[in-house]
Amino acid sequence: MAPTSSAKSEDVRTTNIAAAEEVLSAIRTSLGPRGMDKMVITGKGDVLISNDGATIMKELEARHPAARLLIELSKAQDVEAGDGTTSVVVMCCSLLHECPNLLKMGLHPSVISRGYGKAAAKAEEILDSMSIDLDLDPSNVRKTLITAAKTSLSSKVVSQYSKWLAPIAVDAVSAICDPLNDDNVNLDDIRVVKLAGDTIDRTELIKGLCFPRKVSHVANGPTSISNAKIAFIQFCLSAPKTTMDSSVVVSDYQQMDRLIREERRYILTMCKKIKASGCNVVLIQKSILRDAVSEIALAFLAKMGIMVVRNIEREDASFVCRTVGCKPIASIEHFTADKLGHAFIAEEIELSGKRMVRVIRDDPALPQPEHSAKTITVLVRGVNKLILDEADRSLHDALCVIRSLVKKKKQLPGGGAAEIELAMRLDEYAQTLSGLESYVVKAYANAFELIPYTLAENAGLNPIATVTKLRSEHNKGVTMAGIHVKKGDILDMRAKKVIQPTLVTSSAVKLATETAQMILKISDIVAAR
Amino acid sequence: MNVLKSEASEERGEFSHQSTFIGAIAIADMLKTTLGPLGMDKILQSMSGVDSLTITNDGATILSSLSVDNPAARVLINLSTTQDQEIGDGTTSVVVFAGELLRMAEQLIARGIPVPVIREGYQRASAAALAALTESANANDGSEEAFREELFRIAMTTLSSKILNVDKKFFANMAVDAVLRLGGSTNLANIQIIKKLGKTMEDSFLDEGFILDKQISVGCPVDLKAEDPEHPLRVLVANTSMDADKVKIFGSKAKVSGATELAAIESEERRRMRDKCARIMKHDINCFVNRQLVYNQAEEEFAAKGVMCIEHADFDGIERLSLVLDADILSTFDTPEKARVGTCQRIHEIMIGEDKLIRFAGVPKNQACTIVLRGASKHLLDEAERSLHDALAVLSQTVKDRHTCLGAGSSEMLMSLAVSREADEREDLTQVAMGSFSQALENICFILCENAGLDANTIVAKLHAAHAGGHKTAGIDIVNGCVGDARELGIVEALKSKRQMVMSATEAASQLLKVDNIIRCAPRERQQGQ
Repeated sequence: MAPTSSAKSEDVRTTNIAAAEEVLSAIRTSLGPRGMDKMVITGKGDVLISNDGATIMKELEARHPAARLLIELSKAQDVEAGDGTTSVVVMCCSLLHECPNLLKMGLHPSVISRGYGKAAAKAEEILDSMSIDLDLDPSNVRKTLITAAKTSLSSKVVSQYSKWLAPIAVDAVSAICDPLNDDNVNLDDIRVVKLAGDTIDRTELIKGLCFPRKVSHVANGPTSISNAKIAFIQFCLSAPKTTMDSSVVVSDYQQMDRLIREERRYILTMCKKIKASGCNVVLIQKSILRDAVSEIALAFLAKMGIMVVRNIEREDASFVCRTVGCKPIASIEHFTADKLGHAFIAEEIELSGKRMVRVIRDDPALPQPEHSAKTITVLVRGVNKLILDEADRSLHDALCVIRSLVKKKKQLPGGGAAEIELAMRLDEYAQTLSGLESYVVKAYANAFELIPYTLAENAGLNPIATVTKLRSEHNKGVTMAGIHVKKGDILDMRAKKVIQPTLVTSSAVKLATETAQMILKISDIVAAR
Repeated sequence: MNVLKSEASEERGEFSHQSTFIGAIAIADMLKTTLGPLGMDKILQSMSGVDSLTITNDGATILSSLSVDNPAARVLINLSTTQDQEIGDGTTSVVVFAGELLRMAEQLIARGIPVPVIREGYQRASAAALAALTESANANDGSEEAFREELFRIAMTTLSSKILNVDKKFFANMAVDAVLRLGGSTNLANIQIIKKLGKTMEDSFLDEGFILDKQISVGCPVDLKAEDPEHPLRVLVANTSMDADKVKIFGSKAKVSGATELAAIESEERRRMRDKCARIMKHDINCFVNRQLVYNQAEEEFAAKGVMCIEHADFDGIERLSLVLDADILSTFDTPEKARVGTCQRIHEIMIGEDKLIRFAGVPKNQACTIVLRGASKHLLDEAERSLHDALAVLSQTVKDRHTCLGAGSSEMLMSLAVSREADEREDLTQVAMGSFSQALENICFILCENAGLDANTIVAKLHAAHAGGHKTAGIDIVNGCVGDARELGIVEALKSKRQMVMSATEAASQLLKVDNIIRCAPRERQQGQ
């Protein structure tokens, strides 16, 4: 047993819990609307300012295995619900924090793990019973969704812009699906394009495409075409090139002349064919083998009044084609009118000194068909890269919150109301149990108080006074009472519209419990090959 | 006199025994805490890659990732690997039992009992134990429904010690369904396991088709369905280059005098590709799956003819597809009449989590199926896959053998008593060795209780008394922390796995005991710069 070392199981458990607490102390100050931000300097020297749990955790580069599990946990919550990535870590650490006491009492880790499992099942029940059904009245749906998105955005760096970002997130989702009847949204269909310059409130929703590419300006080609007929081509508009090695042998000047003429004719034939199909916008896929389009071709196309956009990545082909409804064309012989897509306008716009190509699918003057778009693009603006990145992350969270609501149409009060209710109801539940489990469930219930406690602390309130007041309100049966951070008081969360999807909280409880159980069950850290 | 090379070393007699015992017992002790339904997990932290972290309580996985220097420890690791290959489960118990046997042997040697006697005693004891075990086994020759119930119980037992513990009913049913579809074959390659992050374990599911984790090319139809079940869709599985069909003549080069000629060569190249596509489509196919990339031109050719095209399906993907669809993997397309083309009823895109996958339904080999696992983290998914694989392996073995025995320490206690009865009849020193064997078996029950945080001494004593009193199905009720009836608790294991455990552990222990000299050769010298 030369290079392996193994620590005693109790020590391992203690160090694991200690590592979790270390992570907790790093991240808990960023919980809630008055949570602080973290500045992370990454290994590459980049600076990142965020209070998004998942983002901070991802950059932590923790060495300790238990800490790495917590990072995974935060990632999983991000995949599952997209929001509540800080709360899930706080919950899990808080659950682990209760363990040393239980272990000291002589409880076996597997007994604690089983008790936690039982309590989590009960917690799920409690959450379900206290959820409010989503208002399914079609006229109110937009308002309800915006409220939920606002709650999620309120804790971000960009919270003061939630007024603009929340409706955009809601409109983006409801453009590609029907929030009332569908039960899942593919967020890949929402593309977020970031552009530095201007402020966040200039962020806009584009029903079509927008990408940071330049339109060709060779020979004064058109830069704006309305009633566009768009082709996406995957072949090259340049002098022929074979896959096998080839060289053109020229022995005198006449041949050279002929060579140039031939090349021009070759390209001209292709361009004429494009024109003949009625196409007026050409998008060209990037080619790794040679120039995707030659200068001569650009000049010809410009003369024919065809707009050209170059260097589109192959991965984007599917997104572009679905948006404008065209089919990719891989050879000039197949260039026919039925493969073209259509858009209201395709143009080059200049924003903050950056040229962008924008394609708008439908005439904005006409009434827009609802929920029918295949894809949608959000153009995010912000004064610098840090703000821009954070806006992007926050927007993603808001989109995820709406997706959670589409998936499960139920909501919970925010502001720690759900957590304190869980703590109290689980405590009652613990008293109905007998034996060791009762202790475990009690500890589990206790752990949930950390969330409202931290919320209050981060908001600069007296945590003990606030939590006890919250408790007494809930004791009176006001299940909707929560901490209104901005007013610094206990208020009805539903009336104040601090509401979040049930899916976010229930998945956080489930995932946090699962991870806490997993960490508890570890008895040994073995060095492996 | 120095016979060996200068750097070689030798351990003799007592020293060699000592190093055997130390190594083997250290390994067994390390694994001990992972035994049983409430066994603990271990983190395997890799020394080489920073990012690899495994959490497991699968004996074979833990042992295979250890780097050990002790020869006896190596033997035990091999033991667990063999058990993994043979049965797929019981990898922890075999090592723990071998460790217990060696621990007992150490005490016997200290008492001055000669090694050959210990070995003989162990052999006799093992024979007696196996006889008792086989006698107690359930042959399962009743109805198929009863057998399915029994399989379900085995799966429950196997899974109860794994991470899937929480939803074990669900997964046990899934594993039984999957194995019964195999129809007696033990080829687990027919059961594909796909892991997808997100949701929880309960959202995992069994799909009666084949799922390929790839994308359908742009522009192709995304949902194909056979109109008439008699005429299924035809799927061609290929491994051929569909990028630029290169003229593979080394150093070949074309010399031309102008762009027209160059264009002619280029269009000839394109024609070749078009021909190739045409030849492929001569197979009268609805779907073309290639291991390599399919470039834009070929993609368009297929799309134009309404043929679904799937590129970059990698080795594993096409091999499984060819197995499942009963197709050849083709690389040449000149003889459509000879080629075996796969068939299925429907090919369409499905969404799992945030990803799109391709599903082949109504495949001819009805044995095939896919299990999609969902879970919160990568570690969880990996461990779930290992656990499910164990369950599938045991079940497929049981479908072949059909004999089952009881778990929950019941079989161990039964064997322990049988061995000790047999020992009482011996008049020579083997009696003591057999007694130790019996004790080693009892120790397994002890470890089971200890891992569950129960009062091991009391429970093992009670279990012993119950068995001695004729209650042959008595076992440890881990959940309630008392002695119960293993049959009523439904804790059943495959007989083959238990037999294998006793046999190979005994064999390994007695093999190690026989060693009285460890010679470590001088490491081969590496030349500089290698």
